[in-house]
Amino acid sequence: MTPQPPARRPEPSSTPVFRNILKYGTLLSVAIAVIGGALGYVLVGANGLVSALVGAAMAVLFLGVTAASILFANRVSGADMLNPAYFAIVMGAWFLKFLVFLILVFVLKDQPWIDGTVLFLTLVAAVLGTLVVDLVVIARSRIPYVSDVTLPGDTERR
Amino acid sequence: MDATTVLAEINGNIATVGYGLAAIGPAIGVGIVVGKTIEGVARQPELQGRLTVLMYIGIAFTEALAFIGIATYFIFTG
Repeated sequence: MTPQPPARRPEPSSTPVFRNILKYGTLLSVAIAVIGGALGYVLVGANGLVSALVGAAMAVLFLGVTAASILFANRVSGADMLNPAYFAIVMGAWFLKFLVFLILVFVLKDQPWIDGTVLFLTLVAAVLGTLVVDLVVIARSRIPYVSDVTLPGDTERR
Repeated sequence: MDATTVLAEINGNIATVGYGLAAIGPAIGVGIVVGKTIEGVARQPELQGRLTVLMYIGIAFTEALAFIGIATYFIFTG
C-alpha cells in the first residue's frame, strides 16, 4: 500500500482579511502620524511632533498585534481554533501587549520630550480610526459560510 | 482625629484604582467574546472562518476601550 501524500493545507479563509486589516491599518496610522505631527508641531512645537509620532506608532504597533497574532495562530494551528495553540498565541499576545503598553505609558509619562495631551489625542484618533478601518475591511470582505473543514474521505482540506 | 477619619484615609495615587477599573471591563469583554466564539465553533466548525473575523472585531472594540482607559494616565496628573 502506497502511503498517502500529506494533506495539503490551503490558506485559511480568514487569513486574507487579516492581511488587509494590517495593511490598511498601517496606512491609516501613517496618515494620522502625518496630520497629528503637523498639528502638534504647529500647536506645541517639536515636542508635539515627537509625541504625535510616538502616539501613532504605539497605536499601529499595539492594535496590529491582535491581527498579526491571529495570522500567526492560523499558520501554527492549521486554522483549527480548537487547537490549544490557537488561543495560547492570540490571548498570550493580547496579555503581553497590555503589559508592554502599561510599562511604556509609565516610562513615557515622565519624559521631558513628551507632550501628554498630543500623545493622548493622537492615540485616541488612531484607535478610533483603526476600528473604522477594521469594520470597513470586514464589511467588504467575502468569507464563505462553509470553510476550513475536512470531510471523511477527503484527500485534501478545503 | 476621630475614628471615622482614620478609617477613610487612603494613601497613594488614586490613578491606580483607575487602571483597575480600566482593566476589569475589557477583561470581562474579551472573555465573553472568546468564550462565545469557542462555543460557536464547537457547535458549527464549518463557520470558523466567519467567526474568527467577528471575534477579531469584538476583541478590537474591547481593547480600544482598554487602550484609551490606560492612556488617560497621560492627561490626568495625580
